[in-house]
Amino acid sequence: MEIKIRGEELILDKERAIYLPKERLLAISDLHLGKAAHFRKAGLAIPNTVSRNDLLRLENLLQKYQPKQLLINGDMFHSDYNTEIDEFAKWRKKFNEVSFILVKGNHDKQKEEIYTDLAIEVHEPSYNCAGFCFIHDTIQCRSDLYPIGGHLHPGIRVYNKAKQGLKFPCFYFGEDYAILPAFSAFTGLRLLKPKENDQIFAIVASKVIKV
Amino acid sequence: MQKTKGYKQIISWLKADKRKPFDFQKETWQYYLEGYSGLVNAPTGFGKTFSVFLAVVIEGLNQPKPVKGLQLIWITPLRSLAKDIARAMHEVVSVLGLDWHVGVRNGDTSQAERLQQKKTMPEILLITPESLHLLLAQKGSSNLFKNLQCIVADEWHELLGSKRGVMVELAISRIKGLQKANGKQQLRVWGISATIGNIQEALDVIIPEDNAKKIIVRAQLEKKIEIKTILPDTIETLPWAGHLGLKLAHKLIPIINQSRTTLIFINTRGQSEIWYQHLLNIEPDLAGRLAIHHGSIDFELRNWIEDSLHNGLLKAVIATSSLDLGVDFKPVDTVVQIGSPKGVARFLQRAGRSGHSPYEVSKIYFLPTHALEIVEGAAIKEAARENNIESREPFVMVFDTLVQYLVTLAVGDGFDDKVIYQEVVQTHAFKELLPEEWTWTMQFITSGGDSLTAYNEFKKVVKDEDGLWKVKSRQIALRHRLHIGTIVSDAMLRVKFLSGGYIGMIEEYFVSKLKAGDSFVLAGRILEFVQIKDMTVFVRRSKQKKAMSPSWLGGRLPLSSNLGSVLRKKYNEVLYKKHQDEELDVVYPLFLTQQERSHVPKSDELLIEMINNREGFHLFAYPFEGRLVHEILGALVAYRLSKLVPITFSIAMNDYGFELLSDTEIPMDDGIAYEIFSPKNLAEDITLSINSTEMARRKFRDIACISGLVFQGYPGKYVKNKHLQSSAGLFFNVFSDFDKHNLLLRQAYEEVFYQQLEEPRLAAALHRIQQSNIIITYPKRFTPLSFPIKVDSLRANMSSEELEKRIERMKKEVFKE
Repeated sequence: MEIKIRGEELILDKERAIYLPKERLLAISDLHLGKAAHFRKAGLAIPNTVSRNDLLRLENLLQKYQPKQLLINGDMFHSDYNTEIDEFAKWRKKFNEVSFILVKGNHDKQKEEIYTDLAIEVHEPSYNCAGFCFIHDTIQCRSDLYPIGGHLHPGIRVYNKAKQGLKFPCFYFGEDYAILPAFSAFTGLRLLKPKENDQIFAIVASKVIKV
Repeated sequence: MQKTKGYKQIISWLKADKRKPFDFQKETWQYYLEGYSGLVNAPTGFGKTFSVFLAVVIEGLNQPKPVKGLQLIWITPLRSLAKDIARAMHEVVSVLGLDWHVGVRNGDTSQAERLQQKKTMPEILLITPESLHLLLAQKGSSNLFKNLQCIVADEWHELLGSKRGVMVELAISRIKGLQKANGKQQLRVWGISATIGNIQEALDVIIPEDNAKKIIVRAQLEKKIEIKTILPDTIETLPWAGHLGLKLAHKLIPIINQSRTTLIFINTRGQSEIWYQHLLNIEPDLAGRLAIHHGSIDFELRNWIEDSLHNGLLKAVIATSSLDLGVDFKPVDTVVQIGSPKGVARFLQRAGRSGHSPYEVSKIYFLPTHALEIVEGAAIKEAARENNIESREPFVMVFDTLVQYLVTLAVGDGFDDKVIYQEVVQTHAFKELLPEEWTWTMQFITSGGDSLTAYNEFKKVVKDEDGLWKVKSRQIALRHRLHIGTIVSDAMLRVKFLSGGYIGMIEEYFVSKLKAGDSFVLAGRILEFVQIKDMTVFVRRSKQKKAMSPSWLGGRLPLSSNLGSVLRKKYNEVLYKKHQDEELDVVYPLFLTQQERSHVPKSDELLIEMINNREGFHLFAYPFEGRLVHEILGALVAYRLSKLVPITFSIAMNDYGFELLSDTEIPMDDGIAYEIFSPKNLAEDITLSINSTEMARRKFRDIACISGLVFQGYPGKYVKNKHLQSSAGLFFNVFSDFDKHNLLLRQAYEEVFYQQLEEPRLAAALHRIQQSNIIITYPKRFTPLSFPIKVDSLRANMSSEELEKRIERMKKEVFKE
């Protein structure tokens, strides 16, 4: 779905990403790589396929939009170093021509060298581009630009006639800031309570719809 | 037996107290001494406890020199029960001069006492199923059971129909296994149960071995129960629908005043709060002598109420199922049930809370909340007279509980999978377990999952050098010990005064709707919400007179099929006046109205009412099978009708029937009626008509907690576990997408089919309907039968008070003559 925010054209993709055609920039948030492995280490059985599938989805997006830059708006790696980061390193080599930008989030606590080795450009606390301020947690934004954040894993509850609510991940564009959905499928949702002028785009099974 | 030293001692001790044993007690002692296991079935108040307990004592006294070490494990479902039973047991052994200690072990046991028990186990240990598993999770626990003679499952009927029953089965299988390995198989297992429909099955669950010496000992004693329905002076006094029954509250006051202490049972916590306020309003003298007791009230406060009940300080206590079980409160001589009792067993159990001593009469009043419910009073009397008591279905193939049990063993002394497999398939719960399912379960805790999906770095249970499966990580072990158990509570927050002092628990879901300054009722007090901090809801006393009462989710039991069928029979009798029931006389005018406008269904008839009005086209049907079955049946019939013509329905139901409402005309004739209530293609049509995925997702919440996927933290305490937070729903999605072979996922769907949908009961109902006459009527207005369903469908989004008003308005509009 294409929308215009502050004069800038944005494409909202159902795979929980936004694309800025003018900048050739693909932005996602809350990738949480290594979360499944972190759970496995603690004795909770989460299959590997979860994170592999996340990378596969990202790969498809990179092929679809052919961006110059991939921006990860925080929480790229979930926790300590684990095998899922090794798998990511191999995968990263397929896209050497794309520059990876990470805006640091609360989970991003790896050593500097790891980002350097993976050819990831790290920004803290924010990265400004196309009149937007990309920042993990919008509350911490000190810039005058329109902030686009992540962190919350936003979701929206939609009601049907039989009073049965359904929850979907969503994009949030409010008066003062925007929030991207969490990219990783292995994340929960925090339900938003939209205000009157907010624009909410829910990601239902196969498309993005305005709520 | 009569010649043994122990028996003589017991008899002379009883004689000194001017007592003598009941026949069933002597029978139990005899069988026990002959090495039998079994089940004691006796009404409350006749010394069930002493049947098996004294058997163990007699054997102890018969030994030439006192045997030490753990002799008897006494499993109780409730912590509060343990304290009083322990006191009684202690008295007996000390009077008889037997040098045995009685110990209690459960969530309330202090750390110091646990350590003491670890050094020297008492000879008699009272324990909950959870704490018994915790004992197995202790290092060195294998040695504890060497001299164990007997395991008793008290209130076995309560445990049987829950996953806690499976925990008992598994623990018994392990202890038997340990004794077998030591070459000393002296263990006897006894259940103590109230009467249930499947008493033989109850025995076979707790003692699953076909070749075991096992016996059911029945007390040939009858507990006299007097049931009285509180009737309105005229039928018009009672509303046609509703669930509070406040209209009859004034009739309760004299009953309370004439009794020593009255227990008032109400079906939901929310309603109990409203009744508490109302009784105080109409009878201010009760202030300070009326208390309210339900599961969401703080532990200390509940303890205080229970103590005050013992001491006779309270005139009446309003309670929910929280007081169904438990110790006997001697001063209680009257019980009141407000609203449908839903099931015969439950009603009788509640009745038994009064008049506890042998041969004393239990007195129970039934207070109906709406006009039709009066018939339930007549039905419950007949069902009680004929001992038509429900069965408790034991749980089987619960992989979440199995997973938890295996990790419990791994946290303790470790286990050999070949040995444990043999033990597990011996239990009733897992006798159908296939080798590949066992393999999957082992993989789930050792490598994460089946080999088709990779689980790198998975760490939980590992094989130790001694060849046993163990948990090596201290953190995993700690986390596991914290959440052993199968009772999964909703996210509850503790409620505390700003000035200090806990009041109770409240659901997070309800709190999330409160704003600062809002008032609500809890534990009979009106509280003003201030803030939430550290998982605690802070409140202060409110000056308001009225406030909303929180709606606790769940807890609405459906009508049992036993009661449903007696109810159908009673419907037959009302119009023919050949009965002895005063209840039926009172509802007679109502049934005349029903007969005038439509038809009164006989027990071999299914009534369908087609009503058209401003709202649209209604179809009402009355199978009397309980809310849950009607929910599914409604969806099923709606689906089958929608295959005939394109049509959309909204569905409402209660315990008597269901309603389909549409904006287009609903096709109906005899042929269609039999077609849509046909048991053919049932499983397939159910799957198509309901959203089973959504229902399974809800079931999976408990399964994820029990199997250790989701960590709940300490009850009432907020344990932060960094980077490990996730929800059961998320696991459900992940497994659905990536690990379809997951047995926990399959279990969720099976629980939906067998418990939620009650598929067997649904099929039985449809077969019955096929044999019945289907009567279709076209009333001009709502009928006494259809009206409550109509109202029930409004219930979803309205609070109780508004609902009452709304019903009054509707009644005026719809029923003006």
